[in-house]
Order: sequence, then C-alpha cells, then structure tokens
Amino acid sequence: MHTIQVLKAFYRSSIQTDIEYRVDFFTRILASLVGLLTTVGALSIAFNYTGNLAGWTFPQTLVLLSIYYLMDGLIEMFIAPNMRAVMEQVRQGTLDFVLLKPISAQFMASFRTINIWRIVNVMVGLGLSLYTIGRLSLTVGMSQALAFGLTLLCGVAIVYSFWLCLVTLTFWFVKIDNIEQIVWQAFEAGRYPVEIYPVWLRGALTYVIPVAFIITVPARALAGRLPGTYLLIAPVVALASLLLSSAFWRFGLRHYTGASA
Amino acid sequence: MIYWISVYRASLKAAIAQMLQYRFAILIWAVWGFVGPLISLAVWSAATASRGGGITSGSGATFGRADFTAYYLVFMIFSHLTMSWDAFEFAFRVRDGNLSPRLLKPLHPIHSDVAFNIAFKLCTSAMLLPIWILLFVWLKPAMPASGWSLLPAIPALLLAGVLRYVWQYALAVIAFWTTRVEAINQLFFAVDAFFSGRIAPIALLPGWMGIAAYYSPFRAMAAFPVELALGRLPAEQVLPGFALQIVWLAAGLVLLRALWSAGIKQYSAVGA
Repeated sequence: MHTIQVLKAFYRSSIQTDIEYRVDFFTRILASLVGLLTTVGALSIAFNYTGNLAGWTFPQTLVLLSIYYLMDGLIEMFIAPNMRAVMEQVRQGTLDFVLLKPISAQFMASFRTINIWRIVNVMVGLGLSLYTIGRLSLTVGMSQALAFGLTLLCGVAIVYSFWLCLVTLTFWFVKIDNIEQIVWQAFEAGRYPVEIYPVWLRGALTYVIPVAFIITVPARALAGRLPGTYLLIAPVVALASLLLSSAFWRFGLRHYTGASA
Repeated sequence: MIYWISVYRASLKAAIAQMLQYRFAILIWAVWGFVGPLISLAVWSAATASRGGGITSGSGATFGRADFTAYYLVFMIFSHLTMSWDAFEFAFRVRDGNLSPRLLKPLHPIHSDVAFNIAFKLCTSAMLLPIWILLFVWLKPAMPASGWSLLPAIPALLLAGVLRYVWQYALAVIAFWTTRVEAINQLFFAVDAFFSGRIAPIALLPGWMGIAAYYSPFRAMAAFPVELALGRLPAEQVLPGFALQIVWLAAGLVLLRALWSAGIKQYSAVGA
C-alpha cells in the first residue's frame, strides 16, 4: 500500500515535468508514424513478391510490428529513463543519496521517473494491433487472449530484468551507453519475425538479447500460432530472469563504492 | 590550392586524433550502419526462400539469394563511405551556442566538418574492414565475374558521397530558422529508405515508386554506385546515372548557398 503511494507520487511529479515540454509530444507522434510507415511500406513491398516470410503472413507480421511498438513504448516510458538516471547517478556519485533513502534501492532505481510522451508508441502499438486483428478478422478467442496476456507479461518481466542487468554493469564499467546502443541495434531486428534471421542470430536474439521472448513470442500468441510449450517456457524464463537480475543488482550494489571524491 | 591542402591537412590531423580517442564509441555508432542493410537482406532472403530461390521483378530483373547478399553487402559498405550526420550535429551547435565561435573563424565551418567526416570514414573503415571481409567470405555473395565494374563505380561513389553531404548540409542549415531539424531529417531519411534502394533494390519497387526513385537524388546517393559496382546496370543507363548525380549535386549546391546566405543573415546566437 505504501509502495503504491510512493509510486503515485513519483509518477505524478515526473508527469508534471513532462507536461512542460509539449512539443516533444508532436515530435514523438511524427517519429512514430514515419517509422511505422517505413516498416509497413518495406513489408508490403516484400509481400508483393511472396505470400509469406518464414511462415508469417502479411497481417501476422503487422501484429508482430504492433507488439514491437508496444514494447518499445513501454521500455522508453517506464524502464529506460530510470536506468539512464541510475547510470548518470553512478557517474556523478549521487547514487549515494538514492541508497540512503528508506526504501528498496531496486524499487527506487526502477520506478523513480516516467517519460510520459513515449506513450505515443504504446498507443501506436495498441492501435495497430486492434486494426490488424480487425482486418485479419482474427477471432481472438479466450484462450488466445489469455496466452497473449501471459506471454506479454512475461516479455515485460524479461525486458525489465535485462535492463536491470545492464544497469548493474555500470557499477563496474561506469560508462555503458555504448552497450545500450548495441541493445537497441538488436532490438531494431525485432521489427521482423526472428525466424527470418540465420540460426546463429536467432539464437542470439533468443538467449543473449531476448528479443524473441519480448516481441516474437507474444506476437505468435496473439496471432494464434504459438506452440503450447512456450506457455510453460516463457513464465519460467521470466521468473528466472527476475530472480537472477535482482540478485545480480544486489551483488553489484555490494561492489559499489561511490564514484565521487 | 596549396592553402587548401594545408588547411585540410591540419583539420584532418586534428579530427583523426579526436577520433582515435573515442574509437570504441565511434565503432559502436558505425555498427548502426550494419543494421538496416542486414535486416533488409534477411527479409529478402526469407522472401526468396519462400519463392523457391528467385524473385523476378516486373521489368524482368531476377534476384537470387546470392544476388541480394551481394547487393546489400556492397550497399552497406557504400553507405558507410557516403554517410553524413551533419544535420543533427549542426542543429545541436545552433542550440548550445557552439556555432558562434566557429562562425568567427576565418574559414567556412563546412571545411572542418568535411575534414571530420573524412577522418571518421578513414578510421572506422580501417576498423570495419576485417568485418566486411569476413562477411564477404562467409555469406558468399554473387559478385561479378570480372572486377572491371568496380572501376566506374569509384567516381560514382565519390559523387554520391559529395552529393549526400551537400544535401545533408543544406538540411542542417535549416536549423538557422528552427533550431530543431529532427523532424525534417526524419522525413528525409524515410524517403531515403525507399528511394535510395535500402529497403529494396530499385528494380523491385512497385510502378510509380520505382520511377520516382530512379530520377530521385536518393538513388544517385546510394543505389546507383552499388548497381554500377555489381555490373547490374544496363549499359544505356550508366551515363544518365552520372548525369543525374551531377544535376542533383548542382541543385544541392545552389540550395545550400541560398539557404546559408539567407540563414546567416537572420541567425542570432542562442545562449548567454
């Protein structure tokens, strides 16, 4: 209960700050739509010549694209701004003040701010998925909806854990914005089904930078072509990554000695 | 002439020293250049696989998997060699006030930027060369039997680099009015994605888009030298291709000059 109140206060204050920068909202909308049109255009040119890409039909790849936008929006809205703040705090030595607060350091580091204008990508993702489901006349049955909800939740947990591990690395390396760049480069590949990539890359996108679990698996669930075993694998991977990343974070904190002075 | 050589020698030296300091960060940025072409390659490889090996365009050009591989590997290298990011950089300088001291130097700021661009390409190409070779050996692209097609591609590549640079700089100068050029630049890159041949080889673009792309400056900046190097271009399209490059370059220079002289008049520094 107390946690929820703290969270509300955190988010309220950062939304109030963001509201001051309204132009950012329109820049975001433009950026989202241009990116979306480019990818949809690219897909429709390729589908001029073929009926499927590695087993995915055109509408199914659009479902996948919508999940990409949803996840990208969620990361940039909730996860990335906090993790970038931690990196900055480690560099400047101000993380000490965060650690002194009478609240879980991981909670504080993960949920301090929110970047509200990034909600644009979340909305683009939701809109696109509703539109394609309508056009696909995909009848999303109860079981499919549940499978989608479950795998999406797992995806969010996995992506959160992944970023937590990433940010924990700053305790040793201090400057890791380059690593963040690499992660975004891999994430960019998630606009398309991982099945189109060569086997080694598919492996890397599943187990090293888990783009497959974050985007492809929920998209397959929504499109109704997810092998049942994944309903077991995804929660196990999600739970394991939550526990491991949290342990890694605590391990990293023990090594943190403060950067300034 | 000697004056310019010494100016560029000094600027290049300074730029290379700066590059080598940030070599890791710069290499990571350079890897962004891999992402687009390699994703396109994966998409088209999957498309060819589902078509049972080859894709034929409306005009009769055929692409097999190895053709796509060759196209996108050369495309990747050429776009690295012709890339330019001045629109971002310039707007940033206008915003943080860093442009003003540069304007006071007895030299147009474009010269140190050109030197920086060349230094970036020299340093990163040296670092990327082993990766490029590895990709060629590993992915087995269908390269032309004789290397002679590479010869005319060299002037085309140089023209493409200058062309892209001039247009990007013209775009950058718009920052004199708006201080933010991200939106315009993003539109530029979106059109570029289709018309330069990055998303698909121009021959595979649907009807009107293919025609528009053919005459656009974007093809002259990218796909034209690539097709030339691969020997995919019919002989009667070679000279018109060079002509288009020169026409668009001239247009870009006129545009840049006009925008610069109008912009500099009404520029008033941002910052304290």
